[in-house]
Amino acid sequence: MEIIIEEISHGHKLLSRHKFASNNISIGRGYDNDIIISDPHVCADHLQLHFNGEHWLVNDQGSINGSYLENSKDNVIQHQVRSGDIITIGKSQVRFVFPSHPVSKSIAISPFEGLINLARHPMVVALSMTLFAFIGGWIINLNNVNEVSLTQILVPTIGLTLGFALWPAGIALVSHLTKHDGRFWTQMGISYIFFNLMWLSDIFENIVHFNTSSNASMLWLLAIVPLLLAFCLFWLNCYVGFHMTLKRRSFVSLCLVLLLFGGSFIVQLSKQPDFNPRPQFDTTIMSPAFLFTPSSDVESFVSDSAKLFEKVTKEAAEDNKE
Amino acid sequence: MKAIFALLLMCFSTLSFAAEQAEEIFKQLAPSLYQIRLIDKASGEKSSIGSGFQISSSGLIATNYHVISGFARHPNKYKIEYLDNQGNQAPLTLKSVDVINDLAIVQREVTAEMPFFQLAQQAPTKGEELYSLGNPHDLGMIVVPGTYNGLKNESFNDRIHFTGSVNSGMSGGPVVNKNTEVVGINVATSGNQIGFLVPHDKLLELYQAYKNSPPESIEQQMAAQLMQNQKKLITTILNSDWQLKPLGRGLIPTVDVPFVRCWGESNSDKTDAQIMAAVANCDLDENTYISSDFFTGSLEMEYRYMESDKIGSTKFYHIFERQLNQAAPGNKAGKDDVTEYQCHHDIVTPNSSNIKNKAVFCTRAYKDFPALYDVLYIAISVDHEQYALLSHFTISGVAQETSLAFLAKFMESVSWK
Repeated sequence: MEIIIEEISHGHKLLSRHKFASNNISIGRGYDNDIIISDPHVCADHLQLHFNGEHWLVNDQGSINGSYLENSKDNVIQHQVRSGDIITIGKSQVRFVFPSHPVSKSIAISPFEGLINLARHPMVVALSMTLFAFIGGWIINLNNVNEVSLTQILVPTIGLTLGFALWPAGIALVSHLTKHDGRFWTQMGISYIFFNLMWLSDIFENIVHFNTSSNASMLWLLAIVPLLLAFCLFWLNCYVGFHMTLKRRSFVSLCLVLLLFGGSFIVQLSKQPDFNPRPQFDTTIMSPAFLFTPSSDVESFVSDSAKLFEKVTKEAAEDNKE
Repeated sequence: MKAIFALLLMCFSTLSFAAEQAEEIFKQLAPSLYQIRLIDKASGEKSSIGSGFQISSSGLIATNYHVISGFARHPNKYKIEYLDNQGNQAPLTLKSVDVINDLAIVQREVTAEMPFFQLAQQAPTKGEELYSLGNPHDLGMIVVPGTYNGLKNESFNDRIHFTGSVNSGMSGGPVVNKNTEVVGINVATSGNQIGFLVPHDKLLELYQAYKNSPPESIEQQMAAQLMQNQKKLITTILNSDWQLKPLGRGLIPTVDVPFVRCWGESNSDKTDAQIMAAVANCDLDENTYISSDFFTGSLEMEYRYMESDKIGSTKFYHIFERQLNQAAPGNKAGKDDVTEYQCHHDIVTPNSSNIKNKAVFCTRAYKDFPALYDVLYIAISVDHEQYALLSHFTISGVAQETSLAFLAKFMESVSWK
């Protein structure tokens, strides 16, 4: 009977696969074996398989380090192989499968996959990187009080754009190293699209802040937008770069978001002084072109301000109680 | 120490007749002069020193509030002691303060009736010779002759301008005329030969009020004085003439009272600057000392006009946004004195004017003085692409009502031409 023997890594990733039609198969480090494993902890003649007409039997050949069925501590002697058995020899693992072994259901290629492949299109990658560089250069110019020439902006802009490429490149590298398809350009396309979206959400947030008074509630909703965008980016990074279950992918993305935003939040919190003598308020101001809200009059501003006194008086009373 | 003192006196006596008179005055008054010391209980050492003088036979001594402010704020941390001309030390008890005029009355124990300083009946005349007494830098009691130069014009609460060296440590010491009557109390100096004195009538008022009804608690007394002073100050300012002056294309209010002074600066000489900026600011020339890290009673107004035809509107406002970040309180105060600021912001157009501002108002409450607050207002116009006007004020130690009245008037006054 035919048998398939797979060499697998500790993470059960496939390293190589062999199919045999003979009734005797030997595994070991010696060159006379059917499967040669170059692990120094494996003996020259380590493991023998034999088909007795009814069953496959596997037998350790008296090796130094022994052969063990996964999750068992007994040396394998005349063990009757079942399809899917994994045996550890030295520091390597082999898996035995019969031709009749069931396989999981085929997954249809979703239209989503097509959408993701669109991100790989050279035009899309070039366009989103250019847009990113353009916005980056614009922001560098805005933050510079002095007059800046185009060449002065160019260098930091290119640096910024390439710096942000480290993220998709890093992910592609990790997925390549873990025996997945790297898909570098897809990662690049997706990442830059989301970097741009984050910048746009930033600008949108500024416009909303500029147009709302401190009476406005629900502004915290705006703070969720970047969190959501980051989650989507990480989710897609995982989708493209690694084979994971949906649950695991969402969990990993959530952890990354928590790490990134929670980390910076904690850093900010730790920098907060015990007492801040300076007032804290929303300082956003923009060009009149972005002002859409009608203005209040002095009376309503004064009456809104009056409410603050009650608040600080209460605060002072509470502090005095302590 | 005595040698130096004698030397100094000798120098003086050879210099002028006035100095001889000073020596005479000093001899006569020395038994009623004291060095006032604030002793830190934990370390047993003095933490600050000043001067004082006896104003009644029963042992009442006048000094500056700032000399004993540590005790007034933290009675458990400090004790007050005096050192007289015989070298005797004994404790003092705090009886009454005038935090606005920086005066305090302390009491020593007396066994028999003692000599004391007489307070003058009337103010001196300009140019009159006066003698300031005190113990500068813990060097021993000295007398400094000087001249009365009237009341300081720029002061909301009266201060005498005295031409003569008033040094630290002399704070709380008396300034007397030829008849050895007290006409003022040393309080501050402004460098070479410019000293400031609290007029004697402020002490007289405090003394009389103390005789009629001693205050129940120093803290309540201070709170009442601060409350009354801010009301008087803001009412005076609100009722005075607010003149509109041009700044760039804007019109800004300045208050026409002598105790609020204005200054200005611009970069109009730099023709290659990206942004043309002009700044005007007006402030009250005095504040109220509560403790070394807590001041109040200040008022300042600031205006900033910026214009640029060289950069885009977005960049212009992005740069202007930083001005908002620099908003800071006008007075020094710590965690134990005040709460943190609470702020409100909105887009505001006054009915009477043509300017559209992003306006921010912030306030923080005093922890020990109920119903007193520090307030801060800052606004930037957001209705023109290439120019904008920032208007800003801070007032410390005000009540809600007075500060809101000021806010409304200020907001209505700023406009475009």
